[in-house]
Amino acid sequence: MRKLNCYGFTLIMANLISMVCFAQTITVTGNVKNFQTKENASAVSVLLKGSSMGTYTDDKGNFSIVVSKFPATIIISSIGFEKQELAITSGIGKLNILLRPSSTLGQDVVVSASRVPEKILESPVSVERVNAAAIRNAAGANYYDILKSLKGVDVTTSSLTFATPTTRGFNSSGNTRFNQLVDGMDNQAPGLNFSVASLIGLSELDVDNMELLSGASSALYGSGGMNGTLLMTSKNPFKYQGFSVLAKEGVMHLGDQERGVSPYHNLNIRWAKKVNEKFAFKANVELIQANDWVGQDYRNYKRIAPGGYVTAGNRSSDPNYDGINVYGDETTIDIRSNILNPIADSMAPFLKNFIDTLNGGRSINVSRTGYTENQVVNPKTVNYKMSGALHYKLSTKTEAILAGYWGTGNTVYTGSERYSLENFKMGQYKLELNNKNWTLRAFTTQEDAGNSYNTTVATRLVNETWKPSVYYDAQGDPHGWYIDYATVYLDKRLNGYSDADAQQAARSYADQGRPDYNSSQFKNAFDSIRAVSIAQGGAKLLDKSDLYSVEGNCNLSKFTSKVADIIVGGSYKTYVLNSEGTLFADAPGNPIHTSEYGVYAQATRKLMDKFKLAVSGRYDKNQNFKGRFTPRATLTYKLAEYNHVRFSYQTAYRFPSNQQQWIDLGVGTGVRLLGSNEYFNAKYNFTGNQLYDLESFMTGQIVKFDPVEIKPESISSYEMGYKGLLAGGKLLIDLYGYYGQYQDFIGRKVMVQFKNGTPTSYSDTANRYYSLPVNSTDKVKTYGFGLGLDYRVFRNYSIGLNVTSDQLSDVPDHFVAYFNSPKYRANAYVSNSGFGPNKRFGFNINYRWQQSLLYEGDFATGNLPDVHVVDAQVSYKLPITKSVIKLGANNLLNQYYYNAVGNAQIGGVYYLSFGYNIY
Amino acid sequence: MKYIFDIKFKFLIVTLFIVSVIVSSCNKDVEQLGDITQPQRSGQTLDQLLKNNPEDSLYFRLIVKSGQLAMISDSNKMFSMFVPNNDAMRNAISSLAGIPNNQLIPNLVFSQFITSFISVEQAAALVQYNTIPQAIRTSSIPGTFPNFFYPSTLNPTPYDTIPYIPLARLDIYPSTRNGGWLNNLPLTSVNTLAYNGVIHHCAGLAIPPQRFLWNRINTDTGLTYLKAAIIRADSGTSPAFLQGALSNIGANLTLFAPTNAAFKKALVKMIAQVLIRNGADTTTAINTASALSSSPDVFSNPLLFSALPAEQVKGLLAYHLLGSRAFTNNFSTSPESANTLLGFPVILKATFGNPFVTSATVKGSGNAVPANIIINTTPLTADPDGTSDQLYLNGIMHEIDDILMPY
Repeated sequence: MRKLNCYGFTLIMANLISMVCFAQTITVTGNVKNFQTKENASAVSVLLKGSSMGTYTDDKGNFSIVVSKFPATIIISSIGFEKQELAITSGIGKLNILLRPSSTLGQDVVVSASRVPEKILESPVSVERVNAAAIRNAAGANYYDILKSLKGVDVTTSSLTFATPTTRGFNSSGNTRFNQLVDGMDNQAPGLNFSVASLIGLSELDVDNMELLSGASSALYGSGGMNGTLLMTSKNPFKYQGFSVLAKEGVMHLGDQERGVSPYHNLNIRWAKKVNEKFAFKANVELIQANDWVGQDYRNYKRIAPGGYVTAGNRSSDPNYDGINVYGDETTIDIRSNILNPIADSMAPFLKNFIDTLNGGRSINVSRTGYTENQVVNPKTVNYKMSGALHYKLSTKTEAILAGYWGTGNTVYTGSERYSLENFKMGQYKLELNNKNWTLRAFTTQEDAGNSYNTTVATRLVNETWKPSVYYDAQGDPHGWYIDYATVYLDKRLNGYSDADAQQAARSYADQGRPDYNSSQFKNAFDSIRAVSIAQGGAKLLDKSDLYSVEGNCNLSKFTSKVADIIVGGSYKTYVLNSEGTLFADAPGNPIHTSEYGVYAQATRKLMDKFKLAVSGRYDKNQNFKGRFTPRATLTYKLAEYNHVRFSYQTAYRFPSNQQQWIDLGVGTGVRLLGSNEYFNAKYNFTGNQLYDLESFMTGQIVKFDPVEIKPESISSYEMGYKGLLAGGKLLIDLYGYYGQYQDFIGRKVMVQFKNGTPTSYSDTANRYYSLPVNSTDKVKTYGFGLGLDYRVFRNYSIGLNVTSDQLSDVPDHFVAYFNSPKYRANAYVSNSGFGPNKRFGFNINYRWQQSLLYEGDFATGNLPDVHVVDAQVSYKLPITKSVIKLGANNLLNQYYYNAVGNAQIGGVYYLSFGYNIY
Repeated sequence: MKYIFDIKFKFLIVTLFIVSVIVSSCNKDVEQLGDITQPQRSGQTLDQLLKNNPEDSLYFRLIVKSGQLAMISDSNKMFSMFVPNNDAMRNAISSLAGIPNNQLIPNLVFSQFITSFISVEQAAALVQYNTIPQAIRTSSIPGTFPNFFYPSTLNPTPYDTIPYIPLARLDIYPSTRNGGWLNNLPLTSVNTLAYNGVIHHCAGLAIPPQRFLWNRINTDTGLTYLKAAIIRADSGTSPAFLQGALSNIGANLTLFAPTNAAFKKALVKMIAQVLIRNGADTTTAINTASALSSSPDVFSNPLLFSALPAEQVKGLLAYHLLGSRAFTNNFSTSPESANTLLGFPVILKATFGNPFVTSATVKGSGNAVPANIIINTTPLTADPDGTSDQLYLNGIMHEIDDILMPY
């Protein structure tokens, strides 16, 4: 009897009082609860068997479904519960259903891997899935933090709200080789070209799941995605209903001398309502307010083209000090050749030999005194996200969605410089039709860089406002900071000062009147400079670019299933680049339009009930580049129930980004960034005045450079993997190995256009310098493996471990690959989603380790030490209100670390959160 | 059993956590490459070395008198000092104060002379002039021709005609050509390292120049022809080019100054040749030429303007000027050419005794034999009318016994 009870996970508590039958439809109502905890089970699917009629339980576990005749059978299912079928004979009375929790291990369904739902165990390529339950039980202060603990994922954290994930190497801030899709929309800022999902994406309460495809994925998702694709899906208001609040209050910057302890505020509000069986809506708001992490790497950096390196010295000991996170000190000149030698040649020939002997006859490079990042970057991160959606079911199979996502915020992004994004705004708006067999989506992305600015350029210009580096009076005599500096330096050397002391004295003199960073003089200058666009001599990024996209796909299986399951699809995108002539080669009122389209098809067929073969291909064409075909082939083999091996061949490519095509920007360093476009050949007379490779020229070689159309970069990748459940379904193993080859890498090279057209002196101030995109002719190979173990131990206890490795090989000498991936990394966790009295307590401890690596970036290159981080949380549930109180910490032990040279240093965030009506 | 398992499992969790805590507490900071290291220095400071060396007592006394002790005792600064030992100082004081350098006179007496007869300003100028604001070992002093010059710590201003220039310094001319030298004074011992510099001992006290070349030419009765030639060369030009150069602190010259006798000899020959070409017999021509050349007025005689055109005189004088400073001790022991301001070279040669130059010549392309530089026989003694290696603010002068002819 007990056994029966045990297996009788369906318990109908109410009596079916009568079996009165009506000729018309009858609404059956019910309530679903968790068998163990007796909590209401929301968002549980209730489907009328044999039809497409279905519904979800609301936030109180209630549901109602229309039944046209009796007897009928309803199927009740939800991830984390055992599915059950229930026969009903009458619509009278309320059904009370208890669902028995089950192991979710390996039961997740993913869509991203094949564009059709399939069990994650059967996925033909490596994919990770994070569901709402995982987010609920995560230790991180932000759901985006979960990505850091996924298998093989590297995350570059530029600042508190700007994180960039990637897989299989080539990690960087704003990685353009990794796609991020939010509810199917490419989250890339159309002008700035980096994804901003961590800043302007889904709010935490609205995240249904995240799926992460590792490695090449262009065959399904188009340009980009060479290193992977992250798909974030929001909660459907039909399924997840009610009013929810999640408030987090925390502290951060403990032990941070520069910021000081400061609060962390995070508030999420979500309201979703199913008005009726056809119409539902939702609205979300999220606010994050905190003092941002600050870049405080003050090591001395030598910038050379290409790359650079960290070197000894500081502001006191190196007159040419250029601190990584110190800005304004990038302004540097050789005072010997620019000032002292002219003094000797004209005013003081008797000093010539003396000057020649200074610093051993070498250059005397001197940088201006800079300001640290915490002095020039607004520390207050404010991030608002708002979104709303209207869902209307046109039929039982077709749902229309009108949705908008808008966000604004302050954050810091690391590109070739550190950019302070202030009041950055981006909105994404879509109209989507979803059918079981097809999807049609039109969306637009509207970007506004707001008051964003380049911190380096801004600070250098501030220095020029209070004392120009060099200027000439009406008589043609030079004055300025460097003249003061050089004069005092020479005077002190003539008085026997050591070089170091003379440099110090010179700096003290030249810096007289230098405004303090918190003075009104500094602030007025800084604010004035960042209000003017870079192209007009300021530091502001002016960008109001847009993206318009239409895409759709159709599953033709019902017509073709005898041969194969076939999916076809296509997309069309138009970028409208609008910088009013300040960033791109556009003009006010005349933005640049760039279009691209793509079509794809995939055929899948099961063979002998054990094999599943899928072949897909995608053709994309950008109006500025030749068309590109990317094939993919996958094969899965079912070893046994819940045990599959997979093989795949995938290709991916990336068209040059809009910046790489159209940027036309002088960045204040004397170098103009240009896109690769014929337009610039005429504008800058590259045919009339030959370009030369600067780096080659500096090494004594004269190498002409003729701008040519760059090609999309691409990768071919092979992967083999196994995923399966062992130990009675308690142990999930995911193992993979891959090999890939990249080619036609897109990078930049600096070219020089000599003033008279003939290569003479590369340092002549009348020369012009251009940074142009180029394809590398070198090919590099990557390979790696991953192993993930998840084990359900006992009483909701889970432990897990994953170890991954990514390596680069065949790297030519002097080739800067920007691989930026540790050879080994590992994550381990132990968690329990319910223990203690009534299983109300939960906890999660996650440990991350990343091996040291050489980080190569346009902003700075250097070694990063090993990183060890512990995230942890303990939670307590209040079942009646479906509330959760959580005490958690990111980086529990407050071990500050960098994950990119020049990025912010990340410490602990300690928070207490209260969530109401949390799914 | 279940209880034991539960305990074990909790223990496992706690252990895992502790291990994690321990491991994660090991985050290292990014690699710090530290500071730029300065060369390690040791030893006594310059003032201590000098004070502790009895052979330097007179120069140390001069330093004390000059008020420059603080400068050379500053351990944060670096200097090279050219220090005359007591013998050299006795010679120098003897010359400056006009007393005999009698070995019977003790150093204390000379020390008293320093106290009594040398002003603070004079002493400061002497010490500053013999000090370079860098630590330079002789290995760093080139042996090339012409002289490699270093600024001393002596600012030459204010002179009457020179505005104060903060960065102005009088140069001194150490050289390792033909041995070790400071100007034309031999170095006796070198490279005594101090914490804040280096000491080179010198056989004499280098005296800072106070006059321009023109000052000497303008007042020296033995160079009146040269003066007249310069004035003739500058006639018709304003400002006066050669006088300007010879009075300019920015100039850097070596003047081979023909004596009056040399000019006379050459002028007689030149005028006589003109007269003979105009029909005079040889005797008459020579007698007439001798009469005309008997005074410097020969250059201002209008009758001879056609024979001595200003441009030709200017060119001739430019052939007596080098655009650099060359002490005779910087000459090569074998004939060596040096370019003149005219653009044509002259040939220089020196013969050394021990250690001084005993003879030196300079030969023009048009000269059959070289002109002799009239060697100053007392190089260690300051002589305002010295004949060779005479240092001025804007150059060096060597008297020669013949006119240099470019062709």
